[in-house]
Amino acid sequence: MLRVEGHELPVSNLDKPLWPGRTKRELLIYLASVGRWMLPHLAGRPVFVTRWPNGISGKSFYQKVWDDRPAFVETVSIWSTDNGEARDYLLCANLATLLWLGQQAALELHVWFSSILVGRDGRSLGTRYGASEAALEKSRLNYPDFMVFDLDPYVYSGREAKGEEPELYRPAFRRARRLAHDLREIAGSLGLEVFVKTSGRTGLHLYLPIRRRFDFGEVRAMAETIGRHLRARHPRDVTLEWAVERRRGKIFFDYNQNVRGKSLAAAFSPRRHPLATVSMPLAWDELDDAYPTDFTLATVPDIMARRGDPWAGILDAKGDLEARLARAG
Amino acid sequence: MAKAMWSGVISFGMVTIPVKLYSATQSRDISFNLLHATCGTRLQQKRWCPTDDVEVPWSETVRGYEYAKGEYVTLTDEDFESLPLPSKHTIELSAFVEESEIDPVFYEKSYFLEPDKKGEKPYALLLKALEKKHLTAIATITIRKKEQLCTIRPREGTIMLETLFYPDEVSAERGVDLGAVKVTDRELDMAFTLIELLRKPFDPEEYHDHYREALGELIEAKLEGKEVVRSPAPRDAKVIDLAEALKRSVAAAKKGGRKPARAAARPPARAQRRKAG
Repeated sequence: MLRVEGHELPVSNLDKPLWPGRTKRELLIYLASVGRWMLPHLAGRPVFVTRWPNGISGKSFYQKVWDDRPAFVETVSIWSTDNGEARDYLLCANLATLLWLGQQAALELHVWFSSILVGRDGRSLGTRYGASEAALEKSRLNYPDFMVFDLDPYVYSGREAKGEEPELYRPAFRRARRLAHDLREIAGSLGLEVFVKTSGRTGLHLYLPIRRRFDFGEVRAMAETIGRHLRARHPRDVTLEWAVERRRGKIFFDYNQNVRGKSLAAAFSPRRHPLATVSMPLAWDELDDAYPTDFTLATVPDIMARRGDPWAGILDAKGDLEARLARAG
Repeated sequence: MAKAMWSGVISFGMVTIPVKLYSATQSRDISFNLLHATCGTRLQQKRWCPTDDVEVPWSETVRGYEYAKGEYVTLTDEDFESLPLPSKHTIELSAFVEESEIDPVFYEKSYFLEPDKKGEKPYALLLKALEKKHLTAIATITIRKKEQLCTIRPREGTIMLETLFYPDEVSAERGVDLGAVKVTDRELDMAFTLIELLRKPFDPEEYHDHYREALGELIEAKLEGKEVVRSPAPRDAKVIDLAEALKRSVAAAKKGGRKPARAAARPPARAQRRKAG
C-alpha cells in the first residue's frame, strides 16, 4: 500500500520489468518525481493511456474508460457519438491518479488538446459535455488550447527491417529541428508562440497556444494551410502525404491530430522505446543540442530539478489568432 | 510593429527582463531582379557543379572554408552544432560605461528592445537607472548563431541595443600620415569660421538620398508610360500572405460543416500507421 497525498494506493509487482532493465518501481519513482511539472499539463484534459502489462515487448492496449477506479480518480462525462450516450472519461487531477495509472503499466499518457477548465478564455464556452453532440460542440472541449504539429521524420537509416517505421536517426532529427525553427518563425509572424518537445521517439511535437476562439474544425483547417505553406518553403524536406511510402526521405508534417478526441503523447509521458525515453519539453535554445535519447526515465528528474519546466505557463502564452486574422488582407 | 527578430531576456545580477528585439534601422535602397531580356522571365539561380555537370540540391552541399587558394576544409552541421554559444537567449550585461568611451567605429546595427508584459517593471527600472546615471551597458547577445558584443542604452524612453564589431573586426591600424603637412594659424582661423557658419543642430530630416529619389521618379515615369515588362505567372503561385490564407481556410471550414473536426472522421484508409504520436 502506497500513501500518496493522503490517498491510499495499492501497488503490486513493483519489480516487474516494463522496459529492458527498468521496472515498474522505476516508472512510479519517475512519475512521483516529475509529477509536479507534469500534472499542470494534464489538468482538465480527458486522458487515455496505452498499457503494456507485460512490458514494451508484450501486448499493448488503449484504454479510455474505466469501470473500476479508486475514489480519488476524477472523471468527466462526455457525449460519445459512437455509443449514442455519455461516457466517463478519466482526468488526471492528482498525483495519486498518475501513480495509479503507472501501477497499471499505463506507460504512455495521452491528453486532449482541449480542457474543461475555464482558464482566461473559456467563460463564454459551454460545459454540458455529456448532454448531446450539439452541446459538446458548443463546449470548451470543442475549442482547443493549442494548434499542434507532429514532425515525424520518414528518413530511413537503412537499418530498418522491410516495412518497418524509420528508426531514430541523427540526420533525420537534425532536419526536423530545422523545420521546427522555421515553423517558429512563421508562427511568430502570426503573433503565436511555439512550444517544442521531443516526441520521445523519432520526432518533435510543436504546440502553438491559441485563445479559444476557433473550434477543432477551424484549427485543423488552419493547421493544414500552415502545413502547405511550410511545404512550399521546403519542398525537399516536408511531406503531407498519407501514403507512408510517399513520405520516404522527408519529414511528415502531421497536422491531422487537431481533432477533438485525438492527442499526442503528453509532456513528460514515457514512451515505448528500449531506453525508456520520455516526451521532453525543451526551451528553444536547448533544441539544437537535444537528442531524443538524452531524455529518459533516469535522466529527466535531474534535468527538471536543475532547470524547471520550459513549458510552464504555456497557457499564459496564448496568441490571439482571431485578432491577427481580422487585421489580415 | 514589425515582427520581433529575437526574444529572450536581459540578465544582470539577480534580475532578468523578458524582451523582444526589433530592428531599428533598414536600408531603403531600391532593389532590382534580373530578367531574361528576351522574354522578361525572372531568372532563377541554380547551384551548378562544373565537375559533374549537374544541378546540386541543398542536401548534397557542404560548407567549405578556403584556407589556401583552391584548398578547402569542410565543416558539417555536427561541427557547427558542437560550437559553444553561451548567450543564445540572454543579453548578459557585463559592465557599465559612459557612451563617450565607445568609439563610433565599433557600432554595427541598432535595435529596439521591447519588454514582455511581465518585464515592464524591471525594464522601466533599468531604463530609469541608465538615464539617471547617463550610462551605457556592455553586453553580449547571440543573433543568428553569432555571438555579438553590444551596448544597451536609453533613448527617448526606450532601451536600445547596438551591436558592436569585435576589436579584430575593426581595421583601426590603417591610418593617414600627415607628418609633413604644415598648417598656419591664419588657415586654421579660416577653417574655424567656416565651421562656425555651418554649425547648427543635427536634423536628420534635412537629408535625403537624391539618387534613390531620382531612380524612383524614373520608375514612376516608366510605369506611367506603360513601359512595363510582365513576368509570366509562375505555375505554382506561392502563398504570399499566410494570415490571409488562414482566414480563407477558417471560412471554408465554417462553410463545409464541422465533420472533419471529430475523431470519428477517420483519415483516409491509407493511414496504416497507428497514431500514437
